[in-house]
Amino acid sequence: MSPRAAWRLESLGFRHVYDYSAGKLDWLAAGIPTEGTNSAHPRAGDVARRDVPACRLDDRLGDVAARVRDAGWDACVVVNDQSIVLGLLRSRELRGDPHQRIDEAMRPGPSTFRPFVSIQEMARFMREHDLLNSPITTSDGKLVGLLLREDAERVASEIHAEHEGESE
Amino acid sequence: MMTEEGHHDVATLTCRDCSRQIDCCEFCDQPDCPVAICFQCIRAALRESLSHPHPHGG
Repeated sequence: MSPRAAWRLESLGFRHVYDYSAGKLDWLAAGIPTEGTNSAHPRAGDVARRDVPACRLDDRLGDVAARVRDAGWDACVVVNDQSIVLGLLRSRELRGDPHQRIDEAMRPGPSTFRPFVSIQEMARFMREHDLLNSPITTSDGKLVGLLLREDAERVASEIHAEHEGESE
Repeated sequence: MMTEEGHHDVATLTCRDCSRQIDCCEFCDQPDCPVAICFQCIRAALRESLSHPHPHGG
């Protein structure tokens, strides 16, 4: 909150009040729960699948591809030991030479999106760009989950139907 | 195609919103995306780069 709001809260008797200098966008980007009118709308971080398979740079593609397939996925996020996203393996990369190391096979530095992005916007862009999945990360690059287009489109259409119902 | 310096030319795309030349689409990472968009425009479109309402971050 702003320093002014913090002082005001202190004047009302609140004792543990801090100025969050990084600002509201940083809070939202970390995927931490929020309150207020907008918090009722599902966002990319709410819909992203948090159980997406992950692997390390020095894993072998054959091992990873088998594990991903057995788990019923066709994508895997490459992370370091801090869960920072370094790359992505979509179905095309997973079909590569099984002896390759992940750092040779992966799609490096994929575009990532923040958890607070509107699910309708993500659904629209994913459809427009024919993209099946997008990694969602905090602003410092930590994996939140993988947003699947089918999930984004389903939730977006539910919201649309809800709004249609309200306006009738 | 090779340039005089012997480097391969990088295929360039144009951002659909601001017409900036880019190497690949910032949303889907594809070098041949028909609706390519640059980093700044995608951040603005997804409201990831909203300016703070107050200078102190309020």
